[in-house]
Amino acid sequence: MVKPLDALRERLLEAGVAPRHVRRYMKELRDHLDDLRAEEERAGRSRTEAEAAALSRLGSMDELAQAMMGKRRFMSLGTRAPWVLFGVAPVMLLAAAWFAALLILWTGWQIFLPGAETPFVEQPGSIFRLENVVFQFGRMIYFGAPFFIGWGIVWLAARQRLRNYWPAVSVMLVAGLAATAQVHALRPSGARTTGHVMLGFGIGDGAATVIHFAVIFTLTLLPYLAWWWSRRSATV
Amino acid sequence: MNFVMAGRASNPDFMNGVPELLILRLLRENEMYGYEIVQAIRSGTDEVVATGEGVVYPVLHALESDGAIRSRRKMVNGRSRIYYTATRTGERRLAELQGKWTELAGAIQKMLAGAAAVERMIGGRCGETA
Repeated sequence: MVKPLDALRERLLEAGVAPRHVRRYMKELRDHLDDLRAEEERAGRSRTEAEAAALSRLGSMDELAQAMMGKRRFMSLGTRAPWVLFGVAPVMLLAAAWFAALLILWTGWQIFLPGAETPFVEQPGSIFRLENVVFQFGRMIYFGAPFFIGWGIVWLAARQRLRNYWPAVSVMLVAGLAATAQVHALRPSGARTTGHVMLGFGIGDGAATVIHFAVIFTLTLLPYLAWWWSRRSATV
Repeated sequence: MNFVMAGRASNPDFMNGVPELLILRLLRENEMYGYEIVQAIRSGTDEVVATGEGVVYPVLHALESDGAIRSRRKMVNGRSRIYYTATRTGERRLAELQGKWTELAGAIQKMLAGAAAVERMIGGRCGETA
C-alpha cells in the first residue's frame, strides 16, 4: 500500500517539487487512502480488495504526480532559481561568516593586543585564557564556514534529489573562495591608530592553494557522493 | 485537477476553474478535510463530476497559498487531520467564479437550444426539397 506513494514521493522530489509540499501531499494522500480503505472494507470487501480499490480511487500515480508537477508554485527554489540557492546564497553566507570572524579578530586585537602591530602573534600562557578562546573562536568560524556551507549545499541537494551540476558548481565556488582568501591585518607603525583587518583573494603559494581547494572540495562533496552511491546501490 | 464527466476525461482547459468553484462552494459553508470534500463533490453532483480523489490536494494547497482558504490541524478519533475553510478572499473568488460559470452555462444552454432549432429548420428545408 505504501510503496506506490513512496515511488510518487521520489518522483515529485526528482521533478523539483519542494520537499515541504511533497511531505504534506504524502501525509494527506496516506490519510485519504486510509479513509478509502476503511470505506471499502465497510462495504464488505476483503483487506486486499479494499486496498486495491482505495488505490484505484485515489488516482493513477501519473495523475497524482502531474497534479503537483503542473504547478510551478510548488517547485523548490533550487529548481526555479538554482543560481540563487547555489550561487548567490552560499557566497552571501560565506561573506557573513567571514565578516563575523574578522570582526572577532579585530575586536580581540583592540582589546587584548592594543600595542601589537598585528593580531597574528603567539600568545603565551594557557590555551584557556580568554583572549586565546576569543581568537580561536573567530578562527573556527573563518575556517569552518566553507565546510558547513558546503555541507549545507550537499544536504539541500540530497533532500531535493538534485542530480544536476549546480551542487558541484556551488561547492566548487565555496572551495575556490576559501582556498584563495587571505586575511591581512596591519596597524601603521608608530601611529596611535586602530588597525585594519582586510580580506583579499589571491593565488599566493599555488600548490598550497590547490591543496586547500582540493581538501575543502573533497570533504564537502564526499557526503553527497556517498548519498548518491547508496541510492544507486539501493535501486540496482 | 483532472475531472471525469460521465466516464470520459474532460478537456482540462474547458474545465478550468471547476475544481476551485466546487471546493470553495463547499468550504464556504463547512470546515472539511480532503476526503470529505471529495465525497461531497461526488454525492453533490450525483457522481457526474468525479475526480481522481488524490488530486484534490494540489488544488487545496494552491487555494491556500492564494489565501482563498486556510487550514488547521485537528485531532479527530486519535488521527491528525488537516481541515480547510474558506476565507473572505475565497468567498470573493467564489462569487467571481460562480458568476462566470453561470454566464457560461447560460451561453452554452442557449447555443444548444439554438442549434436544435437550426437542425429542425434544416430538417424542414430538406423535407421540402425532397
